[in-house]
Amino acid sequence: MSVAAAATTTVPRREHVETASKADRHRVRTAFAFLAPSLLGVILFLVIPIIFVIGLSLVQWNMLTPMKWVGLSNYVNIFEFDGFGHSLVVTAYYVILNIPIQTAFALGMAMLLRSKRAGSGVIRIIAVLPFLSTPVAMGVVWNWIFNPSTGLVNQFLAHLGITGPAWLSNEATAMPVIAFANIWQYAGYNMLFFLAGLAAIPPTVYEAASIDGATKWEQFRRVTLPLLRPTMLFVLVTGVIGSFQVFDTVYVMTAGGPGNATEVASLNIYNTAFAGFRIGEASAMSVVLFAVILAITIVQFRYFNKRMTYEIA
Amino acid sequence: MTSATAAVPATAIAAGTTERTSRLDKGVRLTGFYLLLLIIALIFILPYLMSVFAAFKPLPAILSQSPLRPPAPGTLDNFKTIFTQYDFGRYLANTLLVTVILTAGQVTFSMMGAYAFARMEFPGRDSLFWLYLTTLMVPNIVTLVPLYVLFAHSHLLNTYWAIFLPYVLGVPYSVFLMRQYFMTIPKEVMEAARLDGCSEGRILWRIIVPISRPIIITATLLAFVFGWNNFMWPLIVTNSNSLNVLTVGIANFNSNFGVQWNLILAGALVALIPMVILFAIFQKHIVNSISLSGINR
Repeated sequence: MSVAAAATTTVPRREHVETASKADRHRVRTAFAFLAPSLLGVILFLVIPIIFVIGLSLVQWNMLTPMKWVGLSNYVNIFEFDGFGHSLVVTAYYVILNIPIQTAFALGMAMLLRSKRAGSGVIRIIAVLPFLSTPVAMGVVWNWIFNPSTGLVNQFLAHLGITGPAWLSNEATAMPVIAFANIWQYAGYNMLFFLAGLAAIPPTVYEAASIDGATKWEQFRRVTLPLLRPTMLFVLVTGVIGSFQVFDTVYVMTAGGPGNATEVASLNIYNTAFAGFRIGEASAMSVVLFAVILAITIVQFRYFNKRMTYEIA
Repeated sequence: MTSATAAVPATAIAAGTTERTSRLDKGVRLTGFYLLLLIIALIFILPYLMSVFAAFKPLPAILSQSPLRPPAPGTLDNFKTIFTQYDFGRYLANTLLVTVILTAGQVTFSMMGAYAFARMEFPGRDSLFWLYLTTLMVPNIVTLVPLYVLFAHSHLLNTYWAIFLPYVLGVPYSVFLMRQYFMTIPKEVMEAARLDGCSEGRILWRIIVPISRPIIITATLLAFVFGWNNFMWPLIVTNSNSLNVLTVGIANFNSNFGVQWNLILAGALVALIPMVILFAIFQKHIVNSISLSGINR
C-alpha cells in the first residue's frame, strides 16, 4: 500500500511510473521468493496438518481399509475405552510436579548467581549444560542412577541404613523421578531467562526500597517478583507447553508403567496411532490435548496481563 | 582509636561489636554461598561423571563397585563393542547427516523469510506474519499423526528425507527470532545499498548476515540441538536399523539389552559427548544465545 502511494506521488511522469511499478513488481517477486521456502514449510507442515488432524479425528481408520465417518464418537471412545482421561490426569500431575519446582529452582539459582562473586560464572555455565543433553540418553543414565540394586541413589540410601524403593517400577515414585529428570534438564536453561530479567531491573529500585526500610525478603516479594512478571510469563508458558508434551524421558524410563501409572498423553497418542493403528482415536486425542494446552496458555496470559502494571524503561 | 574510645566509649564498643558480628556474618554467608554453589555444581556434573566412569568399566565392575569410583584401569571395550558388533557408527553418521542438513536449511530459509518480513514490502505481509505467529505456539505432538499420514501417502517413510523434511524449510520460531533482530537494523543501511544497485540477495548476504551474527548463531545452535536430540519423529518415520538416528538407536538398545549397563551407558555417551564438546567450545555463545532467544520474544 505505502509502496504504491510513494510511487505515484514522488514520480509523476508516465514513463517513470511504468519503470517504478516494474521495479515494484520485481521487488514483490523477490520478496515472495525469499519467503517461499519458509511459507511452504509453514503451510505443509503446520497449517495443513492442523486442519487435517481435525478431519482425521472424525473418522475410523487403520491406514489400510477405507476411512469410515464416525462423527464425534472418537471423542467419546478415547475417554471410555482408551483411558485418555487418565492420561490427561497423569500429564497434569507431571506438570504440577515439574513446573513449580523447576521454576523456583531456576529463580533461586538466578538470585544466587546474579552476584559477580568469583565462581558464579562457572556454575552458570555448568547449569546450562543439561539443556543440550539428549533427553533419551539422559533417560538411560537416570535409569541406571535410580536402578534399585546398582544405582547410586539406593547405594547411598543403603549407607544410611535405608532400603530404597524400586523407583521406576513403583507407582508412587515413578512419576516424581521422571519429573526430577526434567527439572534437572531444564532448570539451568530457565535460570538464564531469570538472570536476564534480573539484570534488567535497575538498581535504583532496590535503593529506594531499602531506604523505605524494606527487608531483603520484602524486596524480593514486592520488587523483584512483580518486575520479573514478563520473564515469569515466558518461562511458565514455554515450560507448560513443553511439559504437556513430555515423551522422550517417559518412553525410555518407564514406557508408561508400572501398569499405566505414567502413561502421559503423548505416549497414549503414540501407542494408539503407531502400535494400535487407530488413527481416528489418536487424532481425537491430539485435538483434545491441543485444546487443553491452548486453554492453559490463554489463562496464563490473562492472569499475567491483569497484573502486568509495572513498566520500567 | 584509644582516644575515641576514651571520648565516647559506649558507642565505640557497640560499633566494634556490630562490626565484628557483621564480619562473622559475612564469613558465614560466604561459606553458605560457596556450599550452595558446590551442591549445585555436583547436582549438574555427577550424572555425567558417573556415566563416563561406567562407560570405561567392564560390566562386573559396574555391578560391584561404587558408581563414584573411577575406572582402574579404564577399558575401551564397551565402545569397541557398540561400534563393531552393533551399529552405533551408523547411528552417529545418520544423526550427523540429518542434523547438519536440517540446521543448514532451517537457518538459511528462516533467515530469508525473516529478511522479507523485516525489510521488504509486499502485499499481505502483515497477515502472513500473523499466520507465522499463530503457528509458533502449535505443540509438535498435535501435528504428529497427520504428518505421519501425509508422509506415508507421499511414500516418504523410511527415508532420510522423512527425518529432516518437516524442519528444513524454516520454522516460525526461527523466522520470528531473526525478524525481530533485523528490525533493529536501520532501514537506511539497506536503502543506501539498493541505490548502489545491490540485489536483495547481496544485501542479505553481505550486509545483514555479518551484522546479525549473534542471532544467526543462536538460530543455528537451537536448530542443531533440536535436530540432534529429536526422538519422537525419527522413531515413527523410520523402522529400519540402517536409518536409525542415535536417539532411536539408544532407545532400542535400552529396551533390548536392559541390564548391560556398560554398553547402554557407552551408547548414551556417544550422543552426549559431542554436545558436551560443542558446549565447551561455544559455552559463552550458547549462554548468550539462549538469553537472546528469550528476551526477543
